Amino acid sequence: MTALMEAPVETRTSAPALLELHGLTVEYGRARAVDGVDLTVHEGEILGLAGESGCGKTTIANAVMRILRPPGRISGGSVVFRGEDLVGKSDEEMRQFRWRNVSMVFQSAMNALNPVMRVGDQFVDAMRAHERIDRKRALAQAEELLELVGIDRDRIRAYPHQLSGGMRQRVIIAIALALNPELIVLDEPTTALDVVVQREIMQQVEALKRDFGFAVLFITHDVSLLLEFADRIAIMYAGEVVESASAQKLGADPQHPYTQGLLQSFPPLSGPLERLTGIPGSPPDLRNPPSGCRFHPRCPHCKPENGSLYLRQTTERPVLRQIAQGHEVACHLVEERRA
Amino acid sequence: MSQFDPTIDLPLAAPPARVHGRLRVPGWLVLIWQNRKSRVGMLMVASMVLLALIAPLITVAHPNDFNLLATKQAPSWHHLFGTTDQGSDIFSQVALGARRSLLLGFAAAVLATALAATLGVTAAYSGGIVDEVINFFINVFLVIPAIPLLIVISGFSKNHGMWTMVIVLAAVLWAFEARILRGQALSLKNRDFVQAARSSGEPTRRIVFAELMPNMISRIAAGFVLVFYIALLVDAGLEFLGLGDMTGTSWGVTLYWAQVNSTVLQGEWWPFFFPGAALAFTVLGLVFLLAGIDEISNPRLRTERAST
Amino acid sequence: MSALAPLEVRGLTKHFARVHAVDDVSFELRPGTVTALVGESGSGKSTVARLLARLHDPSSGSVLFEGDDVARVRRRRDVLRYRSQVQLIFQDPFDSLNPVKTVRHHIERPLRIHKIVPSRQVEERVHELLRTVGLVPPHEIAAKYPHELSGGQRQRVALARVLAVEPKVILADEPTSMLDVSIRIGILNLMTRLKQEHDIAFLFVTHGLASARYIADDVLVMYAGQIVESGPIEEVLAAPLHPYTRLLLAAVPDPAKRLQADHIEERKGLAGAAVDPADGCRFVSRCPLAIDVCSRVTPALVEARPHQSARCHVTAPERTL
Repeated sequence: MTALMEAPVETRTSAPALLELHGLTVEYGRARAVDGVDLTVHEGEILGLAGESGCGKTTIANAVMRILRPPGRISGGSVVFRGEDLVGKSDEEMRQFRWRNVSMVFQSAMNALNPVMRVGDQFVDAMRAHERIDRKRALAQAEELLELVGIDRDRIRAYPHQLSGGMRQRVIIAIALALNPELIVLDEPTTALDVVVQREIMQQVEALKRDFGFAVLFITHDVSLLLEFADRIAIMYAGEVVESASAQKLGADPQHPYTQGLLQSFPPLSGPLERLTGIPGSPPDLRNPPSGCRFHPRCPHCKPENGSLYLRQTTERPVLRQIAQGHEVACHLVEERRA
Repeated sequence: MSQFDPTIDLPLAAPPARVHGRLRVPGWLVLIWQNRKSRVGMLMVASMVLLALIAPLITVAHPNDFNLLATKQAPSWHHLFGTTDQGSDIFSQVALGARRSLLLGFAAAVLATALAATLGVTAAYSGGIVDEVINFFINVFLVIPAIPLLIVISGFSKNHGMWTMVIVLAAVLWAFEARILRGQALSLKNRDFVQAARSSGEPTRRIVFAELMPNMISRIAAGFVLVFYIALLVDAGLEFLGLGDMTGTSWGVTLYWAQVNSTVLQGEWWPFFFPGAALAFTVLGLVFLLAGIDEISNPRLRTERAST
Repeated sequence: MSALAPLEVRGLTKHFARVHAVDDVSFELRPGTVTALVGESGSGKSTVARLLARLHDPSSGSVLFEGDDVARVRRRRDVLRYRSQVQLIFQDPFDSLNPVKTVRHHIERPLRIHKIVPSRQVEERVHELLRTVGLVPPHEIAAKYPHELSGGQRQRVALARVLAVEPKVILADEPTSMLDVSIRIGILNLMTRLKQEHDIAFLFVTHGLASARYIADDVLVMYAGQIVESGPIEEVLAAPLHPYTRLLLAAVPDPAKRLQADHIEERKGLAGAAVDPADGCRFVSRCPLAIDVCSRVTPALVEARPHQSARCHVTAPERTL
């Protein structure tokens, strides 16, 4: 990696915690999609949650919003928002909670717009579902929001198919902002969009964040995006958090072999071109995860010649430990090296 | 990526052909048996077929005979399902009638469904002039009122036997299904795997029968059951028009006479109830079977079973 | 025109009603070479691939396969031959496989249709192909259904299917954009190996410049249906001529610079540029270098440097003779 700016991002973590996950466990039948996850999102920060498909990141988002589809259910741990545990709330309480405190932009959200309703009506729909507001005022607010995300106000009367993919995505983000929540969960918001539009969307989100002060839980498999946009990043694998650090730290000094493999999966645009290997193999079956460290079958540092280390890697689950200020890793190898 | 990932999806390889002793049971049959709903359905239909098969052994020889000494009798040990206004044994009528009804319904459904699926899917995939022509015929058959069509066709055929009925029923019922299947095929036709097959060089008929239709089995099977059901009901109506086969006996005929004699108004529920129940039982069994067919048609629905 | 080029495209144009999806596109594909076709969604790059695969018919222009105009090919035998030589890989690894058919079916069919090997050798060849694309053990994989495989595995099946007919040209339409990042490298490496071992000409359609750089030799940049820049990829990336190429390069996430949230302008949807396009450069509304002539005259593709061409009045002006 090239030299990075030394911006003091650590100060941001001293902001109060907004959302805290303690030992969260989510099960789908016999599979544990999320297994004992601890995570914190602070006020006004962008926390990136990265991992391959099936690592549980979307499940976490759905668990926070309590919109898990059966047979998914929260089987352990807590989801605490400003001191209140969301797991115990009733359906009605959650309904009031959603959108006002936390809102979400789903994957392929641009397809989440109702194709036979005008854009403005969809705003009104969302707003009136969560607060008492008359149609005229709702539409007026909707126009404001559209302008905020950089879309012409008269598009309020447009149908979704008349907007490009990028514009639809921005409409979705605007709807997510409608009730001025403190936390927005973005689940792969730019996956289906190309690079130029992606950058525009991210710039938009940054600007809005500056103006409104909300925090963002940004879920994606594209770590390179997080390295540029997120304040802190947590890497997930097979239902667990394996590393978390500030974006700079993670980019400059990734410790977990999975993180390293992930970062090496991005071919460089400049500089020498070498053959990359990505990460061989595929994520494990969560009904029957590997014993010990779940990454060990794919880890280049897990070899029988390593003796007692190998034994630990294959039988003992590594625990997330702090190795530096704001940097945590769950890896036997890293622990051994520091010992 | 959806919430449900391949790693979480419960996998099942190609339905295994089970070997019981020296008997090789085809994979799809195993699946139908393993799904509880469709197993029940299969048993229901099988029991009705069995009844039809052994009917001659357990019934009187001429179920339509009048027996004026035993008219309007409620169900009893002597007449399990009671007797009609003319003294005919209803149990015999239902049991023997099952033969004709099942055969009629099944044959009409097969013919109508085969026509609808072949023409509908071919029209959708081929597009162009083929689609125009087939569409024209679908619309014509949809618009023609059923009863006059029945009368016309029956008028042309000398015998009013069962096979005429089958053809008549299929002619009336195929167009509705064809349009629906054409719609479904249209939505499938632009899917990548169809384009991939095209670009592999697959000929049209293979794409229609081997790529598209296997993805439409659920809908085709549902259409089959619908036609079966309607065919049996129409059977009763055809008797009324004198187009049916008066010598044979079927559930439709029995129901018809029950209605004509206003038996229910007279408090005699049995001439109406038993053939109706037989029909309902059979159709219900078929509907349960559909649940199993969904699993064959969509491998993702196959769930793991401990017993396998 | 090189005599060796298996596939050559001249003036390829495709209009869907008012949308000029592809306008006057010309290039050639050479054996053992990967040509990247890069552009935003809506630029027409996927349409180009589908035109080459003959899933659409062009509005005008020609596709020449080994010198012969493909559009004139009507006889089933010749169409079949073309299809066996020019194959397409789709973007969605799930949708490109028939969900009710096994892996074996998918790979068998092309073998049987084109009679690549005699019947009794089909099974063996299926296993061989699976091994070539790295799916082992082959007999286990062959029995699986698409939903039982991961995205990366499905794309490998798609590659195996395509290889079955031993094509000269493979058109890969965004084959990795729906796959996880760590899986993409594996597929890209596989494509590189196939290109080298089998001397195949690849067209690699993508919106990711980085993955294009990783495996491609040449690059074609498309915008609103037209090719705006072309040349060897290293040279184009080192010194891009067209403003759009420069925009693409700048937009790829770069961890080295923290995001500045500066001026955000309203974007006209890209759809606007290719619908009923007027004369003039189609990039003019987004171009920082635009001058007066740009909105009046459509620039031509000009070879501004050896082997590197661009369609821009400012950076690659036509020389008036």
